[in-house]
Amino acid sequence: MTTLWDIIHLLTETPLFFVAIGGLTWGILGGALPGISASITMALVLPFTYTMDPAQAIALLACVYIGAEYGGSIPAILIRTPGTNSSAATVIDGYEMNRQGRAGEALGISLMSGVVGSLFGLAMLILLTEPLSWLALAFTPPSYFGLGILGLSVIASMSGGSLIKGLAAATVGLMIATVGTDPISGVTRFTFDIPDLLGGIEPVLVMVGLFALTELMSQSGSSTVLQLNETIRIKLPSWSMMNKLKRSQTIGCILGLFEGLTPGGGGSIAAFMSYNEAKRWSKTPQLFGKGSEEGVAAPEAANNTVASTALIPLLSFGIPSSNSTAVLLGGLLMHGLIPGPRLFEQSAQVIDSIYVGSFIAIIAQIGVGMIILPACIWLVNRPRAYRAGFIFALILSGIFTLNNSLFDLGIALALGLVGYLMRIAGFPVLPMILGVVLGHMVESSYRRSLVLSGGDHMIFLQDPIAVCLLSIALIFVVFSLSREFRDARKTKIEEVHS
Amino acid sequence: MNKDLISGVVLLAVSGTYYAWSSQIADSTLSDEVGATGLPHVLSVILAILAALLIARAILLRRARTATAAGTDDESDAGLPRAIGFLLLGAAYVFVLPFIGYVAGTALLIGAVALYEGAPRNWVVLAAAVGGAVFYWAIFVKLLGVHQPVGSLFQGMF
Repeated sequence: MTTLWDIIHLLTETPLFFVAIGGLTWGILGGALPGISASITMALVLPFTYTMDPAQAIALLACVYIGAEYGGSIPAILIRTPGTNSSAATVIDGYEMNRQGRAGEALGISLMSGVVGSLFGLAMLILLTEPLSWLALAFTPPSYFGLGILGLSVIASMSGGSLIKGLAAATVGLMIATVGTDPISGVTRFTFDIPDLLGGIEPVLVMVGLFALTELMSQSGSSTVLQLNETIRIKLPSWSMMNKLKRSQTIGCILGLFEGLTPGGGGSIAAFMSYNEAKRWSKTPQLFGKGSEEGVAAPEAANNTVASTALIPLLSFGIPSSNSTAVLLGGLLMHGLIPGPRLFEQSAQVIDSIYVGSFIAIIAQIGVGMIILPACIWLVNRPRAYRAGFIFALILSGIFTLNNSLFDLGIALALGLVGYLMRIAGFPVLPMILGVVLGHMVESSYRRSLVLSGGDHMIFLQDPIAVCLLSIALIFVVFSLSREFRDARKTKIEEVHS
Repeated sequence: MNKDLISGVVLLAVSGTYYAWSSQIADSTLSDEVGATGLPHVLSVILAILAALLIARAILLRRARTATAAGTDDESDAGLPRAIGFLLLGAAYVFVLPFIGYVAGTALLIGAVALYEGAPRNWVVLAAAVGGAVFYWAIFVKLLGVHQPVGSLFQGMF
């Protein structure tokens, strides 16, 4: 049993404080660079941990993970480029706030919501690891199929007023997700003998193309000048604002907790669903997509919660729920630490270091953010001509780092053009991104389920988690459709009256 | 022709092409009941139906209603040529990168984009381009250890 003395000892007798701050800062910088995912940021420091004390090494990796998950929101808000997959939902209202000259406010909300989510996730990690960890083992292929469908169920409310266009965009996204190697038989699909396509098209390429490159092209083709931020100061949300955001943050925390426990989630589904649910339960849903503070708070609370709760299945059973936790697993194994119940008994100091290091990192996130973020705002407030050049070069450099492939650059540029044409034609890009992110999970889990059942679709109704998730998805779809039709009818009536 | 009609026709073409390509996917003895072509076929049919709905709606409504709700970023296509020009600068960067390498290529890209976006032709553009390229090289190559293209012209220099 960890005592207060153990914690004080950890804080005073070891350099854990500096390890946590160093890991956090590295994580934020890595997560903020497009193309450098949280897992790459962690993998880059992995060799340096080899000679470190195991407790400090694992704490360092955990702090890098926390920093990287938060860091992804910085370019999402400032240059419409999600630094990590899970920060894609933050783009919607975060970038809109930036366009309105409210970058400092958006970054402040993102920072504090991230801290709230991380603290909640850490509390769950410390208090509920044992009871919650069994949920990770209960997930079967039908459950994953249910989870994927639940993620896709938010498409209707992300269709921006045109359900047909939203569904068409999502279908094209699912088509993109089929490129590569078939998940069951291993045959190649739509690769045209190009080796770079064997692994498929990475979601981050699609996000960078559809969000960032489309925005750069749009700014280049537009005569309107973006409203620059009057100040580079970070505006942390006031108590009254935090009170206003508590509903959306709670939604984000709960969905983040759930996704963190499910191997393969990775934060994207929780972020999108939190955004969708925050909009549904908001008193001002009409502001979503137009610079809503709640639209930033919900996904940020969700993906930062996942950064902590994803450690529950990892530490309990050695199940990595994402690439980042797989790197953390590598760190554990490198130091001879075998995840599982015995880890908590035999290497209690490692577990304590993760808890204490993570806590230090989460609190320090506010201070580090306050130092780093003003410089980021200053950078994006440079004259448009130079800003465009620097952002374009940063994005292309980041894309190249994914696979050291020029082909990836070509794909991203092509998707930039597709995104721009979609804008002109009034197609929403978010459903397409959801399709790309969830396509592989939906298809592979559906087919694995049928392999298990010998082709019997009843398997989806026999798995309690799958039934639960599919039922929620059905409710979401019905509610979203009724709201879309109601809004459309209201708009039509207003048009007639005006 | 309005945008929805054109979009519908394009999506219909995409659907048909995708279906044709998916029919060429090789069979495998390891394949399951659904098979590698199962989802692609279903997706192409769904897209064809959605495209047909879009076309029908565009024809029925003489003037396509412009979606202005949140999430869509409708904009005029007047800026398309400039936007394409911007993208071509990126395409040129991808083309020359293997020859001139990361530092020179990035400097050229930053400088070219700055001039394209209206920066005055003076030493500031040159300084920003060279400074920016060296800065990114320091971050990606030196700090993160990412192997960016050296360029066949400068092979052995870095």
